[in-house]
Amino acid sequence: MVRQARSEATRRRIIDSAVALINEIGYPASGLADIIERAELTKGALYYHFESKEAVATAIIEEGMDTILGAFRSAGRLGSPAMENIVHGWFVVADAIMGDRVAQAACRLLRTFGGFNPAAKSTYGDLEAEFAERVRSAVEQGDVRSDIDADAVVATVLASMLGAELVSSALTDGRDLRRRFARTLEILLPAIVTVDALGYYREFLARQSMRISPSS
Amino acid sequence: MVEQADRRADATRLQIVKAAAHEFATRPYSQVNLDEILVSADVTKGALYFHFRSKHALANAVIEHRAELGWATVEQIRTNGLSGLETAIDVAYLIAVSDIGEADARAGLNLLEAVGRFDGLQAKVLDVWVNGFAALIRRAIGEDDVVEDVNPEHAARLLVSMYLGLRQTSNLDEPESFIRDLESMWMLVLPGFANPERLGYFAGFIRRRSALAIKNASPLRASNL
Repeated sequence: MVRQARSEATRRRIIDSAVALINEIGYPASGLADIIERAELTKGALYYHFESKEAVATAIIEEGMDTILGAFRSAGRLGSPAMENIVHGWFVVADAIMGDRVAQAACRLLRTFGGFNPAAKSTYGDLEAEFAERVRSAVEQGDVRSDIDADAVVATVLASMLGAELVSSALTDGRDLRRRFARTLEILLPAIVTVDALGYYREFLARQSMRISPSS
Repeated sequence: MVEQADRRADATRLQIVKAAAHEFATRPYSQVNLDEILVSADVTKGALYFHFRSKHALANAVIEHRAELGWATVEQIRTNGLSGLETAIDVAYLIAVSDIGEADARAGLNLLEAVGRFDGLQAKVLDVWVNGFAALIRRAIGEDDVVEDVNPEHAARLLVSMYLGLRQTSNLDEPESFIRDLESMWMLVLPGFANPERLGYFAGFIRRRSALAIKNASPLRASNL
């Protein structure tokens, strides 16, 4: 029991050290030696838990994306329309990324690896599947246009939001993420929402983006 | 060992309360028979009387059981990034959907009217509701969704009374018309306290919830018993 707890604590220290380095200087510049030094551990301790630097990265991607996907899922409620859950969900995701260093590092790693790391690849797939389910419900509920392909809606919105996250991370270290998400959605809404629902969702979006995040 | 026995006793107690909720949900208080609760809870008469002295004590336990559950759900909604008035509307619809489809909720509210009046339990439970709605309305005033000169307690009391009255005049066993009646009442009272500029938005917010509630509500008699 004690040994297990100590082992878990060591693993945690390695991840935290790698997360800090990735957020400061990026993945390519963070060497295994730097991670070990910062965590104040031996090489043996690191190799006991991870077989390579990429294995550390994979663990960070998994943990960070769990947080982000969990946030998007938790924003969905049975009693609310799917389109509300989508809009609200992106703000909850923004808050989750802004409030969690592991999630921030995971986003950076996703960009570094793209399709070359299996965890990164499956993460994009999970995001797309989760989002597609919401979009299909929103079409059913009459809020999203049924005369355009739902998959095209998913692909366009997801790509735009991931891009907004990239630019926000590069230019302001992610501090203006909420605002960038809001502006991106503002432009996309008229393209995907039905004519009847547009006025309502413009106002819903404006209210959501004005709302102060719980973490700040 | 003692702890284990306590846990078993708690489990038995909950089993009795849940079985009683099913009975109280579909029949008037006077027609509910303790022997039938014994059978459906699958406990002995001794076990039942160990936990509850009388039908009245059991009814009170059903009310309290529901009040605790109900409040936990409201807490969950309150932390979900909606404004005060949006949350109040969401809570109202949530209460209606559970009242339509869940035995615990239906029994709790039926009994609140039938037996709660006599020993202060009704006042206690309704105070929690009124205070909860009043806090949301107060927040809504700060968010400019509700006009400033509204007294939050009065508005909250109106909302609670409105719902309890609706249970009497409408029919919980016809989900669609019950939800439509709920919607009409909200639309009617909203201009009484909401910011006039935002009425259009809130009308949309309410209509969307009605459509979903009608879809999600499954009547108690048909499916859950």
